[in-house]
Amino acid sequence: MSLQTPRILPSHLHAFHPSSASSNTVRILGTVTALHGATGTLTCGTNGDVTLILKSDARLQVGKLVEVVGKVADLEGGQGYGIRVLGSTEWGDPADCDYKIYENVVNATHKFKSIFYE
Amino acid sequence: MDGNYNNYSSFGGGGGGGGFMPGETNSPAGGKTGDRDNKTLRPVTVKQVLDASQPFPEAPFQIDGADVANVLFMGQVRNISSQSTNVTYKIDDGTGEVEVKKWVDSTTADNMDTDDGKAPGDGKTELQLNGYARVFGSIKSFGNKRYIGAHSVRPLSNINELHTHLLEATVVHLFFTRGPPGSAPAGGNAAGTDAVMGGADNYGAGAGQNKALASMSLVAKKIYNLLKTEPQDDSGLHMQVIASKLNIPATEVARAGEELLGAGVIFSTMDEQTWAILEY
Repeated sequence: MSLQTPRILPSHLHAFHPSSASSNTVRILGTVTALHGATGTLTCGTNGDVTLILKSDARLQVGKLVEVVGKVADLEGGQGYGIRVLGSTEWGDPADCDYKIYENVVNATHKFKSIFYE
Repeated sequence: MDGNYNNYSSFGGGGGGGGFMPGETNSPAGGKTGDRDNKTLRPVTVKQVLDASQPFPEAPFQIDGADVANVLFMGQVRNISSQSTNVTYKIDDGTGEVEVKKWVDSTTADNMDTDDGKAPGDGKTELQLNGYARVFGSIKSFGNKRYIGAHSVRPLSNINELHTHLLEATVVHLFFTRGPPGSAPAGGNAAGTDAVMGGADNYGAGAGQNKALASMSLVAKKIYNLLKTEPQDDSGLHMQVIASKLNIPATEVARAGEELLGAGVIFSTMDEQTWAILEY
């Protein structure tokens, strides 16, 4: 089976943590709300924030909607889970995206695993 | 004489129960037709393409037991490899990866394909590595390798389109595996055609009949219940008998009988006016 990257929301991070899941590469959509050097904050609609662990060549911009593909990882200092960014796709203005649809996609893809992820 | 009726009723019952196999509902009879008559464009995920089955070599691919002619999916372009006759893209939509081949049309390639390393596109549309693309084409296989023979590969710029596509793929998958929406709850718009077309097979025969019955007139329901409970031989009950037992005018019984016959929940036995319940 080729590599699969399930679409998730911040509340699903724990299910893809290396300690509990065999595959921990995920896809998540959100708005970049802060950048601090090696880390950044991705805000996922009304579903909370995720800390991104950035690569040195990451070119994220605050205020843009991005889809991140990355691995779920522990944050330094035991601050919970974050995502180590492997790649990101910029989708422009967050206002052009109906985040509600994405939430439904996440629900549908996990409910009907047989056609999405298995 | 009775023997004849026995034969007839068992024939009727058998004929009604068989004929349509679950999951075969939209295969053309005999399966003689191929892609040519099936012009559907089905929204799918890459995983569904990879999981698509082929009943025998050269047969049309099937997803959820239904033949697929053309598929539509969206994903990120992970690799672009341009050859003289075609461009091969590797498309990843998060559920899997598949190769997509777009044959280069020499007439349009002349004026479009001027930049090296760029995919030949139609007009201003250019695909970029790791950008999203919207692909439609048909599933092909070469040796053991599965790929998409693309009719169109275009860039995707609106993320909502990607998300709604995934939801559409889910809807169509559920349509083929669970039947049309609204058929699960009894009554409502579940018309008699369900029982006739075998759509009700998914739910078991009893549920199917109840479903068909729910949308019928009160008289039809009464007749059905009478036929179900009244002691009778294989040939069922005559219309006049039903009319007198239910104390309903014969004309109304005839009309309700038509309803039941049309839905395939009862069938006529020794003559047009004698009916029995069609048991699956």
